Amino acid sequence: MEKNLDEQSIPQKDEENNTNVDDTSKSSLSETNDNVEVKPDDENKNVDDVVHVEGEPKEEKKEEKESEEGVTVEVTSPETPPNLEKVLEDIDRFLAINENNNNNVNPNEEKIPECVDKFLDLVEEKITKYDSGETKWGEVMEEDSSLLEGVNRVSKMVKLLSTMIIEFQYGEKEAEGDAEKENEKEKDEKKEKRDQLMLVNRVGAIQQRAMSYLEEEFRMLMEESRNQNKTDSDSKGKNVATSESSENESTEMVMEFPGFKEEVITSLNKIACEMLFAGYDSECYHIYTVSRKHGFNDGLNKLGYERISMDEVQKMQWESLEREIPSWINTFKECATVWFPGERKLVASIFSDNQSVADTLYTELTRVVVFQLLNFAESVAMTKRAAEKLFKYLDMYEALRDTILNLEKLYPENIVDDIKAEITSAKNRLGEVAVLIFCELENSIKSDSGKTPVAGGAVHPLTRYIVNYLRLACEYKDTLEEVFREHSKIERADSTSRPHYENDNQQSKEKENTSPFAAQLTRVMELLDANLEGKAKLYKEVPLSCIFMMNNGRYIVQKIKGSAEIYAVMGETWCRKRSTELRTYHKNYQVETWSKILTCLSPKGLSDNGKVPKPVLKERFKTFNALFDEIHKTQSTWVVSDEQLQSELRVSISALVIPAYRSFLGRFSQYLDPGRQTEKYIKFQAEDIENYIDDLFDGNPHTAQVRKKA
Amino acid sequence: MPATTENNQGSFLGRISIRRNQVMSMDGSHDQELEDLELFQRHVGDRFSELLSSTTDDPSNDALLSIGWLRRLLDELLCCEAEFKAVVMMGRDPSQIAKPPLDRLLPELLDRVVKSLDICNAVTLGIDAVRNLQRLAEIAVAALEPRPMGDGQVRRAKKALNSLVTAMMHEDRECGSTKGTERSRSFGRRGNANKDRGGGTFRSLSWTMARNWSAAKQIHAMSSNLAAPRGNEATGLPSPIYIMSTVLVFVMWTLAAAIPCQERNGLGTHLPFQRQLTWAQPMISLQEKIAEEWKKKEKKGSVGLLEEMQKIEKVGQFLIDFAESYQFPGESERLEEVKAHVEELADICRKMDEGLEPLQLQIREVFHRLVRTRTEFLHVLDQAGKLSAPTV
Repeated sequence: MEKNLDEQSIPQKDEENNTNVDDTSKSSLSETNDNVEVKPDDENKNVDDVVHVEGEPKEEKKEEKESEEGVTVEVTSPETPPNLEKVLEDIDRFLAINENNNNNVNPNEEKIPECVDKFLDLVEEKITKYDSGETKWGEVMEEDSSLLEGVNRVSKMVKLLSTMIIEFQYGEKEAEGDAEKENEKEKDEKKEKRDQLMLVNRVGAIQQRAMSYLEEEFRMLMEESRNQNKTDSDSKGKNVATSESSENESTEMVMEFPGFKEEVITSLNKIACEMLFAGYDSECYHIYTVSRKHGFNDGLNKLGYERISMDEVQKMQWESLEREIPSWINTFKECATVWFPGERKLVASIFSDNQSVADTLYTELTRVVVFQLLNFAESVAMTKRAAEKLFKYLDMYEALRDTILNLEKLYPENIVDDIKAEITSAKNRLGEVAVLIFCELENSIKSDSGKTPVAGGAVHPLTRYIVNYLRLACEYKDTLEEVFREHSKIERADSTSRPHYENDNQQSKEKENTSPFAAQLTRVMELLDANLEGKAKLYKEVPLSCIFMMNNGRYIVQKIKGSAEIYAVMGETWCRKRSTELRTYHKNYQVETWSKILTCLSPKGLSDNGKVPKPVLKERFKTFNALFDEIHKTQSTWVVSDEQLQSELRVSISALVIPAYRSFLGRFSQYLDPGRQTEKYIKFQAEDIENYIDDLFDGNPHTAQVRKKA
Repeated sequence: MPATTENNQGSFLGRISIRRNQVMSMDGSHDQELEDLELFQRHVGDRFSELLSSTTDDPSNDALLSIGWLRRLLDELLCCEAEFKAVVMMGRDPSQIAKPPLDRLLPELLDRVVKSLDICNAVTLGIDAVRNLQRLAEIAVAALEPRPMGDGQVRRAKKALNSLVTAMMHEDRECGSTKGTERSRSFGRRGNANKDRGGGTFRSLSWTMARNWSAAKQIHAMSSNLAAPRGNEATGLPSPIYIMSTVLVFVMWTLAAAIPCQERNGLGTHLPFQRQLTWAQPMISLQEKIAEEWKKKEKKGSVGLLEEMQKIEKVGQFLIDFAESYQFPGESERLEEVKAHVEELADICRKMDEGLEPLQLQIREVFHRLVRTRTEFLHVLDQAGKLSAPTV
């Protein structure tokens, strides 16, 4: 269709040209490379023109293929058929002269040299070849660059002619006054003017045709690279760049995003330069933008990133939403560290002539990607708060925070603040929510007010949950510190009930140096302690509540000492204080449980003026036996799962009881009659006591059978 | 971030908060509240009647659904939103907000807010597509401005305009439809002549939203449970919540109608606005006008009702017709006519160049504002929840 139009639009007046063109376009397809046949016809001038046009491209081709022979042909022929290179020189000379004279041209003296027509024929022929597919882009580099050079001169000519035409029109108006006198001259001028116009039209049409071809080629090159990048499924986007495509010219290569080969970029750059020079810049930008947009879409899909609407995110189960987050983080980082820099490089190398355009295109493209990615972060931050979300939020927060630093390099100055503000907004939202979630731990502690004590005084599930949660949180210590530092300020300005650490103003002098996060952590610990103390009161036996407190306290201290991060936050002093508390509970336990039994073993009251009252002694043994039996029975069901604590307890009990018992036995057993009486009242040997003590706190009921064992 | 709204709407908000503070301390706050509500209603009515009048009276004003008009619409949304917050939230005891029926109405509003955020995002992407269309129109302007008008220039313009018109149709019909991302369609001059070059592939200019996301469905979901408060409720806090919801639905619906958005089938159905409410009258008139336009264009397939796009489509079609029959050097009368059209096109492009970016930023502003407001309301509801929960 275009071709028809082409022919139609060629002005009828310009007969000579017209035939030339027609002949050329028809013959170029049918005729073959026999130079020799054409050459001899050189006699006639008219034919000569045609022959030049027809013969030239073949000549040129020949020259490129086998330059030696080409040269000899040229030398032998009487009138050298023009080739593009040759004509280019003439054209350049013509263009150069006019460029210099531009300011003071006398339009009427302006002559368009003959070489222009020849040149246009040659260029047109070349375009036809590319257009028809006879010559393909990227096959012979020299061909391609000679096409571009030709197109370049066409563009220059368009520019030159357009200024000349304006001057012509201007000159014509001036001349109109005395035009009547010189009819002849006027006619000449009119004809010349018409010729000029026709030439302008022709040059413009050729330019358009060339641009149309280049535009298409540009599109193909963009799309091929994109599609290729899309199909090589082995590469996950982040791959080592290949140095050279050496032997396997066009097979799938593993490439760094955006996956354009060096030679393709060079081609794109050359084409873009010509298109921009010709004023066909918008076409170029349009293709670039649309293609890259799809390139990014493909890339995002390949990374497994799925767009989810904000509405949908609010409705999703956390389990499924949680799964999307690592993929989002991966995508976001990939964009910030690989894709955006890659894109920036690509656009800068394609549009190397115009960096501000490159900036604009890059910004337009990536800004939308950034918005889309940020929307996910915003929508995740908008979901209902829950403790288990904290860590994923912090992951996202970190990803955003770490990218903001990269941005200076990634965006032009005038836009970087906008983008920063957007990322910061999403980051802040996540930070605020993280603070809120962390502070809501308080609530979950306060609201844990169950009335059933844990059997055996073992570690309470709440203790496990909170301490492990805090330990995990402290793996994000630096981030949490930062989040608290930055976002608790906002809360304060914002009003009302928020983190309570600031209420602790009484002690604030002392705490000034501690970070808000550490303060909050301490506060959570204190709340946990208070809660545990409440729970300890649920036990009827005081020693059991001591064991409960020891168990939980021990668990907390062990866990905190076991993690350098949380230990650093809580501090040595805190741990020492806790250990002291534990010792107190230990003491209390001993007193509560064993003081009574020890009074049985006291010699006090048994030496009445050197005499040992037998009934009292019998009573003492009986009481001891009963008490010890009872303690053994109950306390062997109690639980101390920390082995060290368990053995500490047993050792300390043994140290307390056994020497006392041993000496009691040693001193008083002689007063009982051997045999029945001894058997009746001395149920335990010191070794038995030791064994029984070893039964304590392992959570199993030990009863009568044990006695037999002993 | 503390709300920045105070700066914009200084006087009104200031007045309300001061008065509320005075009034809250006393007991007879009911009259004052009634007055506030009435003021809010009146302001909303005024704002939209101004938007309505500007479309009819003065031709120099921003035309209905033009970029300028949409920006004013968004301004009004932001103002309404700020006033709404002042009336409903500022200085109020959280427990008042958590009472029935507000404990139902407010979350419903917040859900509409979330859906609006998606519309904002879709429209942001749509504006990006419109920018690409603008670039095509600019090609036509660049080609047809210089004289003499050569065949090459006309051909260049025609090519760009054809792409433009095709793209406009595609943006509307297939924009983001589930399978439509990779359609190809040859319009290249080489056609089949050269298979491996494949002609040009025509591809959507839009980014896609989430799979299966539909602007029309979202709007429908926003408006389906929109019911005007009756009886006692009509004079209390349910009333501003209803007004705010209505404004939100109307603005989002308008944006979706004006700018290419993923899936707009069924957008033409009427929004369930209450006819008897005075403040709603201008909005209803606007809605009817826009819906009428929508119906006209829906069948033809169009990129959206954005006034500039509509004009581009018209001028573009004229220029394509012109290009079909053009022969160098052309008749001067015809060329004059074309010149006028090209000037118009250039004018539209300039307007778009100036207006689209600010519009996009403004939509982003609306987005952020809505996110913040939602957070603030949730916070108040949270507090109310804490207050009502037994504190042990």
